[in-house]
Amino acid sequence: MGQLANIHGIGGWAFLRGTKGTPTSKARCDDFRPRESRTADPIEYGVRHQKLHVRFDTRRAPFVRQEWPAPCAVPPRRFCEWSRIILCPLVVVFMAVSGCNPAAPSSDGFEPINETQVVFWDRQTTETAKLLEKITAEFNASNDGMAVAIETTGNYGEIYRKVMASIQARRLPAMAVSYESMTAQYAASGAVVGLDALVADPERGISSADLEDFFPAVLGSNYYADYDGQLLSFPFSKSVLMLYANHRVLKEAGIDGPPKTWDEFLEQCRSIKAKTGKFAYAISVDCSTISGMIFSMGGELIVDGQFQYDQPAAIQAFTLLETLINEDLAYQIQARTYDDEVAFARDDVAFTTRTSAGSANMALAMGGKNDSWSLNPIPQSDPAHPATILFGPNITLFTTGAAQEQVAWDFVRHFTSTPVMTEWVLATGYLPIRKSVANDGRIQAYWAAWPSNRAPYDCLETARTEPNLLRWQEIRSSVERAESAVLAKLKTGKEAALELQQEAQGLLDRTK
Amino acid sequence: MKRSLSYIALTVFAGIMVYPFVWMAGTAFKTLPESMGGDLNPFPATWQWGNIATTLAEAPFGQYFFNSILVSTIVGLSVVITSLMAGYAFGRLRFRGQGLLFGLVLATMMVPFEITFIPNFVLITRFGWYNSYAALIVPWCANAFGVFLVRQAFLSLPNAYYDAAVMDGCGHLRFLRHIGASMVKPTLVTVFLFAFLGSYNALLWPLVVTSDPSLRVVQVGLASFLMDSGVRLNLLMCASSFVIVPSMVLFLFTQRYFEESALSSGLKE
Repeated sequence: MGQLANIHGIGGWAFLRGTKGTPTSKARCDDFRPRESRTADPIEYGVRHQKLHVRFDTRRAPFVRQEWPAPCAVPPRRFCEWSRIILCPLVVVFMAVSGCNPAAPSSDGFEPINETQVVFWDRQTTETAKLLEKITAEFNASNDGMAVAIETTGNYGEIYRKVMASIQARRLPAMAVSYESMTAQYAASGAVVGLDALVADPERGISSADLEDFFPAVLGSNYYADYDGQLLSFPFSKSVLMLYANHRVLKEAGIDGPPKTWDEFLEQCRSIKAKTGKFAYAISVDCSTISGMIFSMGGELIVDGQFQYDQPAAIQAFTLLETLINEDLAYQIQARTYDDEVAFARDDVAFTTRTSAGSANMALAMGGKNDSWSLNPIPQSDPAHPATILFGPNITLFTTGAAQEQVAWDFVRHFTSTPVMTEWVLATGYLPIRKSVANDGRIQAYWAAWPSNRAPYDCLETARTEPNLLRWQEIRSSVERAESAVLAKLKTGKEAALELQQEAQGLLDRTK
Repeated sequence: MKRSLSYIALTVFAGIMVYPFVWMAGTAFKTLPESMGGDLNPFPATWQWGNIATTLAEAPFGQYFFNSILVSTIVGLSVVITSLMAGYAFGRLRFRGQGLLFGLVLATMMVPFEITFIPNFVLITRFGWYNSYAALIVPWCANAFGVFLVRQAFLSLPNAYYDAAVMDGCGHLRFLRHIGASMVKPTLVTVFLFAFLGSYNALLWPLVVTSDPSLRVVQVGLASFLMDSGVRLNLLMCASSFVIVPSMVLFLFTQRYFEESALSSGLKE
């Protein structure tokens, strides 16, 4: 009773000095005490598994005894321990499995997320977002149907997650920007509108002459082999993988210009390290960059349903990364950052590889000094047969009902029309997706102003897209894991490439 | 002499801690090339006061601030209430299946957000809460970590307090309201702080469950400066400079309780 005896009036309550001497012979306070701290004294603290709780109200005289409902009998300790050991992991596994493997909904029954507007989930920010708003406002002014509403929905990864969640909730926007691999995933749920019929519509379709105006590389990736070659998305904003070269660092190392071949690239990296002590190249872990390297080294990603990561070009690409890291010529930037651009702008590195769409931002970061940097084709194994990777999202339409789908399609046609696309290309630095846009006088003048303005367009003819397979999203993650393992020196380039081949092929085979 | 050395050491460490914030505030007034130049000098060559207007024009930050503070405050208070009651039940009561139930509560801490994300979104949509404050608040009104902290706080309270209160006629709710809550106040403040900051710093969930700018929060505003192909570092730092103000003010006001909670966390009866 020592503890109780020393306690006085806490929180405005008058406490008893003790329980002995008060009519507590039947009072049991022990039920509120952790089991370990109980005593065995039945008079002061009661016995284990006490059934009756009694309290004394000192404001009522004399000692009115009130009975509380008895708590449930405490189950034996052994039962509790076993139930914890068995049931907790089971529940965790159940929750994980139910969250990871949601049932795919049927193809019908998707509703628009907004009944009165045609919602377009996009990722543009800053000036390009404002331009898209302006283009949309012009479309809405000329359109009698529902209005299109742009909703900025984060980056592509966030858009993908939101669309996948919306498919489960069966409420979708009318359209969203998406890469081919994302569209393939959405289409598996039956949520994507096939565009062939809309294109062929005599009144609101696209004429064959207009269709031929689109660059084949740009349009071709929107036909999905896994879905009987259907057109499931339409080109939106395109760019290519380019090599950004910092001429101040190159000059410091006594190098005249950026490399044309991968051998030259490696030599220049070594020279830069030796003469300036700086890293030559900042690496952003990215599947598309690896794909571009493989293409430029004369390789393929997939041939007749067989991945080609165990072929010489892919092994060469991973081995080059291994060499760059082992010789301290390059370093890996933090994932999902633009630290390479920062390092480039402050002359800490000579090279970085990024989308050509980043050139406008890089120009700002370099303070408008165009003579201090340039945008170049990525190095090639055989410059006579160049290749690079085509970036950029498309627009995917969702099955939200005929009315919404028609307006969404009209918007796509409006956005990809020559005048609108010309304005878009001039303002954003994206590539023209139509030949008529490339031939526009304003575009030609823009290209003539600085060779780097035109360099991405010159790569367009030889740019290739990644496969638009159903499981490409997962395979992209596998490629990035393999690249990370090489950069972390956990695997050699060859080991990483060979293991990647097995993993990617396994994923693909399981789809079949 | 010993005290002087302590002060010098503390000043150096304080400087190291404060420098990133000064750099952030200074970079907010640099040009983009200067901000990306990697200069350790936090102060710009020429103060670009126009950056403030440019930043504020990029997104409706006033509305975003209001939403963030409203949502975070309600979430914080709700978590305190639910954690207090559940923590008390787990810490002071005994009932059948208590251990199992507490194990289940703790198990929810092991399920990552990525897994609950889709079921939560589906529920929110089915309830008709998409694009509403309810979607931003309700799913986060209880969390296992808060329950765990409060339970531990109640376990560390001497039983004598409760025994005495019972003898004095206190029931559970009255004990909790008048005595228990005030005795675990530092823990409750810590729980509030964690819940508030968790909600205030959330990006993905608010981005996913809202589309109307009038319902979006400051973190979505910060994402406005991350483009498809780069980052406007100076404007991002400018926005970040005022976005962190509520967190800093809250921490300054609750610092005493926070430290008290941390210091007392290892003590037992």
